Amino acid sequence: MASISQLEVVDTYVLNSATKHLAREELPPRNTYGDPLPAGDPRGQISEAWRFPIIDSYAGTSPRAGDEQLNKVTFVVRDRDLSQPTSVTVVGSFAALYEQIPLQPVLFLGQPTGFRACTLVLPKQQLHIYRFMVDGQLRNDPINPQRRQLDNGSVWSQFFTEGCSQLITFQPWEARLMERLTEHILPFRTADGEQFLKNHVNFLDRQIAESRFPFSYRLDNSVGAVNYIDKILSREERHHRANYRICLRIIDALLRQRNPFTDTNLMSRGIYTELYDQMLSGPDGSVPGWPYGDYGRPRFFMELLRRHTYTGAFSHPKYGGNAGAAGWEFLASRYPFDWQAALEAPLGRNADYRG
Amino acid sequence: MITNDYDAIVIGSGAGGAPIAQRLVLAGKSVLVLEKGPLLQPQYLSDDGLSDFKRDELFATGPEKRIGIEGMANLGQATFSSHVEPDLNDEPHIYQGADGRDYATLEGYTAQVIGGGTQLYGAVHLRFTETDFRLKSFNDDRTDLRADPNGDVRREARDWAISYADLEPYYCQVEELVGINGTSANQLKPFSIDHLQRPLTPNPISVYARQGMVAKGVQHPHQGQPVSPYRTPLAVITENHAPSKRKVPADRDSIRSSYVNRYGDPLGLKSSTWVSLLAPVADRPNLAIWCNCVVTLLRHQADRVTDIVFRDPGGQEQVLQVKPGAVVVVACSAIESVRLLQLSALTDTEFRRRINPNDLLGRYFLTHCFGGAETAVVGNPPSFPPLQFDKSASLDSDWAIDYPSSEDFLREFGLWAGAAIYNNTSDQALPLSLARTHGSQDIDTIWQTFDAGFWGTADPGVPADSRGRPLHGQGMIDFFRENFGTRLSVSFMANQVPLPSNRIELHPTVVDKWKRPVAWIIKDWHSHDRYLMDVLANQCREILKVGNANPHPDGIESGGIYMAGNARARIANHILGGARFGLDRNDSVLDSHCRAWDLDNLYVTDGSFMPTSGGANPTHTIEANAFRVADHLVSRL
Repeated sequence: MASISQLEVVDTYVLNSATKHLAREELPPRNTYGDPLPAGDPRGQISEAWRFPIIDSYAGTSPRAGDEQLNKVTFVVRDRDLSQPTSVTVVGSFAALYEQIPLQPVLFLGQPTGFRACTLVLPKQQLHIYRFMVDGQLRNDPINPQRRQLDNGSVWSQFFTEGCSQLITFQPWEARLMERLTEHILPFRTADGEQFLKNHVNFLDRQIAESRFPFSYRLDNSVGAVNYIDKILSREERHHRANYRICLRIIDALLRQRNPFTDTNLMSRGIYTELYDQMLSGPDGSVPGWPYGDYGRPRFFMELLRRHTYTGAFSHPKYGGNAGAAGWEFLASRYPFDWQAALEAPLGRNADYRG
Repeated sequence: MITNDYDAIVIGSGAGGAPIAQRLVLAGKSVLVLEKGPLLQPQYLSDDGLSDFKRDELFATGPEKRIGIEGMANLGQATFSSHVEPDLNDEPHIYQGADGRDYATLEGYTAQVIGGGTQLYGAVHLRFTETDFRLKSFNDDRTDLRADPNGDVRREARDWAISYADLEPYYCQVEELVGINGTSANQLKPFSIDHLQRPLTPNPISVYARQGMVAKGVQHPHQGQPVSPYRTPLAVITENHAPSKRKVPADRDSIRSSYVNRYGDPLGLKSSTWVSLLAPVADRPNLAIWCNCVVTLLRHQADRVTDIVFRDPGGQEQVLQVKPGAVVVVACSAIESVRLLQLSALTDTEFRRRINPNDLLGRYFLTHCFGGAETAVVGNPPSFPPLQFDKSASLDSDWAIDYPSSEDFLREFGLWAGAAIYNNTSDQALPLSLARTHGSQDIDTIWQTFDAGFWGTADPGVPADSRGRPLHGQGMIDFFRENFGTRLSVSFMANQVPLPSNRIELHPTVVDKWKRPVAWIIKDWHSHDRYLMDVLANQCREILKVGNANPHPDGIESGGIYMAGNARARIANHILGGARFGLDRNDSVLDSHCRAWDLDNLYVTDGSFMPTSGGANPTHTIEANAFRVADHLVSRL
């Protein structure tokens, strides 16, 4: 891989995120990211640790075509997490093997703040692993909760840029089940929804689709909600991964038990909606056959799944859902909703807002 | 110790701080602004032409977080907040619930960012009425006040240390310098100069609010004349704005966007104090702005504040000396300003004696009595499904009316104070905000919709007891059909009765991320507040009914915020009081210039100075008062 584009570190830009989330006194931990954290792990104290590295939109000082396909990625460390190092660099799959990119001290009024940072320009839709080289020793990012275990058993820090479509959280079978679960929550598998898919998405000219919607990688029935959930469970709402792991296993077993001769992917819509209604019945759900001893609140999971599905279908496509803006287009095809008027090109057509 | 030559050190860059900083800079004084939050830029001020704010529902409201503060009744509960709001686990405010237990929360429009709450607000920019400034005089001799069995209202009502006439020139200055669109005609508040910019074409759905307001204004005349609606003043520029050198898009209609209320504006058209007041003077050599710096303590010698202790962006404690003759302006928003003063008094008995000799600091904390009515617009004769409009092309509000602030109205209903009524056009205009707030009475229940499981349909053809339906598949289509672009609300904003028992204290056990005690809010509604909210919510309901938005008797939901399940929790969209100003040092924390009575160089200029909360959104009055104090400071420095 060629050497990558690096931007000068802008102190205020880094501090705008670092101070709020990272500057603090030592307190008993108030934050969790799903996994039990070892005693003294700084992430228990950091608010919104998932915000690091900072992924942001990019534009060069003289804008060029294609800028909208790039992200600005800023790595931040606190000296105090790294035993007051003299040198910190980052190495990762985004650069040439063992290319070390130095993190610079971040200053306030000319004095070091205890933060170091570097800013890179990377393409969207990518998934990367990285580590910091701290005085010659490789270390994972002490802030970012995203980690990935490689085939050789080693664990690396991980991040993804906007619109990433590689599965991170779900196993393939979980993703397939999720496709079914989400598609019957969303309106696209109703009679009205099928018509919309037929008219607006499946037959959308591919070239138009790709220029207008940079993330139209999945113009399929799912509108990307599963991809959105896969990503939010890796980053912002990591604390909900266990709910999905447990409940998808239970639901898969339950559906097979109820319909032993049909693959879950081929089961009818009615089987799914019946399950939804049971899960939403009563304060905790009332689902025959549900192993309440293993997971006591199927209703909670159904509400969580519904919130995530809805959010994925109708949020900005850069979060990995709402593929090709299909969710917004669906609303616009039925109701007065000129969603493009306010949004940036090429997704929208606002002449002033740049995203 | 950082020595310096600043004439004024202003803590906070929002509505209470920025006007003073700007005025002093223009007068040639040397000014430092300390802002706790980040410097987030609109496009036209950024180096790369991209804004730090986005038109992005998820960015603005954030993912789910979990409350992790031990001992709170809402430990483990979900919370959602904007990227410019304080983190609830790091810097919570604690409310005492009706059950006597403590809950971590934050207010609706508290923001940590350059520009403060004016980056997040819906930008409704109303003046208070003449009566709002003299509620003691207005109520002193009355015998017709209802729902006030112990005479609390007349005992606790206060006149302001200034009159409407005193503040009126400063209202004009705000309208000119901040940049506000709307109309002054039909307002029951005298305007000496009209600086309001031309409003944009209203969203078609708002006609149902306007029709209702017209009818109600005839029914409730003022001094014998019908009262008419006017275009709600909004701090969003609709024409090029010379004082701040901001320019509007070639297509003015494109300014109408629902990405305004609760969003920082990437185009800088919403008139935050940053784009309107500070950015235009930011390159002057006599202004320094230090963002990401939180002030933790004030120290004094005799009657002067001499040191400001703050954490720099890296979290290191720094001490800034206040040079002899310089002034310190505290404008951190009401709760945080009171807290800073209380923290400073905590370990310094002499500071406490000077700032709080009468045990008034933190007392008479105020919010607003607010509430309203909401419906899916079905028209008259009614149609089902409801009528649908593109509400995403609208600002926060189109129409407002003042009849509920006229003396005739107040006497008719036995109310101590009046209100502004305006419609909310952009609420629930976008799909996530629709789902987030549907059926909720406040923004901390933003996912109540999803948690409720089943929603009732508004279809009158369906029997009331079988209107539940699932929110998935066809249920979601039905939901959109009935609610997306159909809903119209009319709100009131009214004075809350000031009570000493409504107060801000330091919490005995919960600390923030700097290990400082956090603010503890103890408040409840007076019986007159509840009565007033009932009366005004009913007015809002009637506006929607007679405006032909929905003639069905049960088609309109209405109520005051006191009825919400979380009525004591995140109810405080506007936070005011706690350090009220006055003419009597035994009855106030600040003098008429908003200066601490016994700390000669300490001023407090956010909403905490207010002795009553006014019958309208408070930002306009906070900014006007800050310009007034600035004039005093210019003459002093």
